Amino acid sequence: MLDRHKPLWGKPPQLKKSYDAVIIGGGLHGLATAYFLARHHGMQNIAILEKRYIGFGGAGRNTAIVRANQRTQANVPLYKEALDLWPVLTKELDYNLMFFNCGNLNLLHSEAAVSAARMAIASAQFQGVKSHLIDAKTCKEMMPALNIAEDITYPIFGAMYHPPGGIVRHDAVVWGLAKGAAKYGCHIHQQTEVTGINVENGKVVSVDTDRGTLNTPRVLLSAGGYSAAISYHMLGIKLPISVLNIQAMVTQPLKPILNHVISSGAYHAYANQTLKGEIATGAHMDAWPNYTTQTTAYYIRHQAQAITEMLPCLKGVKFMRHWSGLADMTPDMAPIMDGNNLIEGYFMNCGWGYFGFKSCTATGKYMAQFMATGECPDILKPFHLGRYAQHRLMGETPALVTYTADN
Amino acid sequence: MALTLTCPVCGKRNGYEFRYGGEDKGPKPDGFGLTPDAWCEYVHMNRCVAGIQKEWWCHKDGCGVWFTTHRDTLKNLEVDPMEAPS
Repeated sequence: MLDRHKPLWGKPPQLKKSYDAVIIGGGLHGLATAYFLARHHGMQNIAILEKRYIGFGGAGRNTAIVRANQRTQANVPLYKEALDLWPVLTKELDYNLMFFNCGNLNLLHSEAAVSAARMAIASAQFQGVKSHLIDAKTCKEMMPALNIAEDITYPIFGAMYHPPGGIVRHDAVVWGLAKGAAKYGCHIHQQTEVTGINVENGKVVSVDTDRGTLNTPRVLLSAGGYSAAISYHMLGIKLPISVLNIQAMVTQPLKPILNHVISSGAYHAYANQTLKGEIATGAHMDAWPNYTTQTTAYYIRHQAQAITEMLPCLKGVKFMRHWSGLADMTPDMAPIMDGNNLIEGYFMNCGWGYFGFKSCTATGKYMAQFMATGECPDILKPFHLGRYAQHRLMGETPALVTYTADN
Repeated sequence: MALTLTCPVCGKRNGYEFRYGGEDKGPKPDGFGLTPDAWCEYVHMNRCVAGIQKEWWCHKDGCGVWFTTHRDTLKNLEVDPMEAPS
């Protein structure tokens, strides 16, 4: 059986000499953009170039949490649409993405945190996103395993409850989008490394790979954590990005105890129970750039302490696996989506930090529109690269679980 | 494998005692006639080198000194400055 296994996205296609668009990076953003280019804009002569295998990067290294409770007016609508697209895509792709909208409970551990949550909730409600404040007693009723005692390091004052969020099976999203893109004729070239982007007279003309040169008028840089290095090495364009490693781990499978996603800024931890029963929990990132995807005992210990204070019943439960992925962090913790300004035909979609998974569907949809029409959709306009020189940074920094060089 | 760094005062120490201070971008640009683009370049823009880079660190949980060192971002290991490209 195993040797007859055929991928959902068909046999590896032949590399053509020219494509209408080339997408660098076979992650969720690249696959989603290809899918929407083909489905909504009739562009089917598209190559997705992936150095390793699709879903190698952030697509396979996240904790599968999706939500739309960001902070600023520019970000919330994008994440809301991304969240709304999961059930739509499950039908369109004819592939079960295992979207489970169990709701997110963002724990608040101080009066200041409660005040900050009030603002986030007001922003969410203004944009039509369900989100409301609940007290500690209600948290306990919703999640009996939670420790609301006052003698823990960070006692729980309440929570921001965001019912439409939840989890999606991350591998299923990779495979489903690859299946969808391939069905429309997009070429997914794995084990194909981009070695150069060629520009003539201010226009993109071709892309060099280790398998030959592809002529194309449009290139999308969508290589996740590797985007900033590619941008500088190949085009000399510096980006306001630091590439950090974020670590995560799962416990052994348990019977259902966590019926919501929980996150805590003070404990610097978030957790959800996968449909297999494992508690998947995300942790710190090493606050200095590196491309290793190494994990450290330092944070496994931190994670065990944080999670067992909030959920004491998990004491003695073993971690089964741990991993790390790259997060390309921008100074304002909001992404960079831009195109056609520095070089005609060159588009970039990067700087997603650790929000790339939950946003891939909507980003793919609008980046596809941007690439097909050449006109930046209104929803993407605030995310242009020029905002850093204009000192118009977005206020996403006080996010639910924040990462700075100091923590 | 966690990072260790060599503090010029305290010697070789665990990387978690230090705070990363960014890529070495040379001296702070002169404020006179400084354009927003040049300031943005200095403050925000990074090369994100996949390989050896010169960078700033502070021995935050130690003596507090700021210093530069070379580190290989692909291996997450400090590099002897004699071996680092200038």
